[in-house]
Amino acid sequence: MKIENTKAQMRKGVLEYCILTVLKHGDAYTSEILEHLKGAKLIVVEGTIYPLLTRLKNSGLLNYRWEESTSGPPRKYYGLTENGRLFLKGLETTWEELVAAVNLLTQIKNT
Amino acid sequence: MNKTININLGGLFFHIDEMAFQKLKRYLDTIRHSLSDDSKGCDEIIADIELRISELLSGKIKDPRQVIGEADIDEVIGIMGQPEDYVFEDEPLNDHQKYSTQYQNYNQKKLFRDGDDKFLGGVAAGIGHYFGIEPIWIRLIWLLLAFAGFGFLLYIILWILVPVAKTTAEKLQMEGEAVNISTIERKIRDEFQDVSQRAKKGFDEASEKVKEGFKDAKTRVNQNQIKSGFQEFIDVIGKIFTTFFLVIGKFIGILLIIVSVATLIGLGVGLFAAGSLDLSGFDWFWLGDANFINTTGLPIWAVSIMVFLLVGIPFLMLFFLGMFILSSRSKTPGRITWYVLLGLWLITIITTIFFSVKQSANYAYNGSFIENNPIELAQIDTLSIAMVDNQDFSNYGYLRKRNGFKRVYTNDNKAKLYANAIRLNIAVADGDSSYVKIRKEGQGRNRALAQSNAKNIEYHFALNGKTLNLDGFFLTNDGLNSIDKVLDITILIPKNKIIYIDKSTQSFLRHIENTDNTFDGDLPKHLYKMTLSGLECLDCK
Repeated sequence: MKIENTKAQMRKGVLEYCILTVLKHGDAYTSEILEHLKGAKLIVVEGTIYPLLTRLKNSGLLNYRWEESTSGPPRKYYGLTENGRLFLKGLETTWEELVAAVNLLTQIKNT
Repeated sequence: MNKTININLGGLFFHIDEMAFQKLKRYLDTIRHSLSDDSKGCDEIIADIELRISELLSGKIKDPRQVIGEADIDEVIGIMGQPEDYVFEDEPLNDHQKYSTQYQNYNQKKLFRDGDDKFLGGVAAGIGHYFGIEPIWIRLIWLLLAFAGFGFLLYIILWILVPVAKTTAEKLQMEGEAVNISTIERKIRDEFQDVSQRAKKGFDEASEKVKEGFKDAKTRVNQNQIKSGFQEFIDVIGKIFTTFFLVIGKFIGILLIIVSVATLIGLGVGLFAAGSLDLSGFDWFWLGDANFINTTGLPIWAVSIMVFLLVGIPFLMLFFLGMFILSSRSKTPGRITWYVLLGLWLITIITTIFFSVKQSANYAYNGSFIENNPIELAQIDTLSIAMVDNQDFSNYGYLRKRNGFKRVYTNDNKAKLYANAIRLNIAVADGDSSYVKIRKEGQGRNRALAQSNAKNIEYHFALNGKTLNLDGFFLTNDGLNSIDKVLDITILIPKNKIIYIDKSTQSFLRHIENTDNTFDGDLPKHLYKMTLSGLECLDCK
């Protein structure tokens, strides 16, 4: 059992949740999503995000539209679908439960 | 200075340096490869990535004429992450590592077969490239392994398993050069030259044919057909001959290599053994007969080295020649090496001549010394003539005339040279007395020395009852200037004397006159009467 593996597993679940959270407040194109995630230090390199976005889109949680850009190539704006919103709700509940559980457990250990 | 390539990345137009382009392409290819298990999403992901890279790069471009360099690509890769970062699946970690090594290994060597410098399958050349060794050494090892038995099988296995380097990138990877545009370009240029030359040749031939075809068309169509048919036939024959000579040439090459390598190894082993034995103070002579004694004062190890160089260098050159025949691409040593080898060889030759002269000077003069020893035979009705050996000196099974000599030690522990080169003659005496005439022959730097060398030969005989026992050997002093070729013994017997020739004399007898003209070797074991015209057999049939 390698720690990198475990870390990757943990981060992967959280990352999906976070992408959806970023999009909850409005549509965003890839670079914007990346900026948020990088700002939160959730990811270091950008490569990770592309397969995830595509998979989320393919699962029907996200959709996208093209928008022309003045400064570069056309941008892909992602947004949540209805399914995505329901999915995110479920994840939010689970996340709060998880945080509570982890906090409880770590506190017991500490005291 | 580098060429630039124009690319369309994510719908935008970029000038990109060739090196940078290669790097970027490799990067994207590796990502595509690592995502390839998700074939549906793969293209889309790559498109997204290209889009993002395009965005990142366009942020760097201030002037549309600006060229994207390698540093820019490095920076983009730094932002985007290594290919393994893209795989965020539940796959085992090993696979990620595999991708990463595959990517990193792009600039490292990979084992391929070399289709350009091949003798059989290009395995040796490929291995040579991989280890950075000249293929000839690998081929040599193959040859040795083939003799050991399993090399051939191993070769076949590698032939099957190792892929041949087909693409330019693979060839460069094989040779361990960094796969970048400049090296690829060089490689392509080399190959193009090769191809263009061939094409030119082909074109010349074609135009020749066309010309001829026109000529023939002018005369008669029929003839034309016959002619071109004939020409084709000639072409085929020519091809067969070329192939045949190629094969023969390779065969000769292999032969040259095998012979020269065998000779070199043999020489090396033999002379190293001789030299080191000599250095360790080993006494040679017990090894057996020697026909050559070193009187130059040179130590044997020096002689060994000289012989090695004298014989070895020409064979080494033959070896390189063989290698060259086998594969014209295999590097023969440079001009300097040839000169050094040639020079070394000439020096050895001169040294050898010098010492040969010195050695032969020791034999410059011949000297002889004749002894006439009377023997009293009046009381003996039948004289038996026999030759005896000294068992202390020789371990020979039986006594016979031999060339060469060996070192022996007498009872007072003196080293002597022992030899069997004796010629025995039996002839009629002038008067009534009998003699054993011994002619000793010696050689030396000058006449006096030759004479004294002759005199110093030790030889004995004894009359025991009715038997004349002659020594079957003679001894000379050990050391320089003491080599003697032969000892001539003539037994002079008055006429009408009856003698018996013992079997032991068989190989020593020489030109003995006899009435039946019997061959010397057939003379022993018979009774003879001495007559004026030689021996007359009394009990022959």
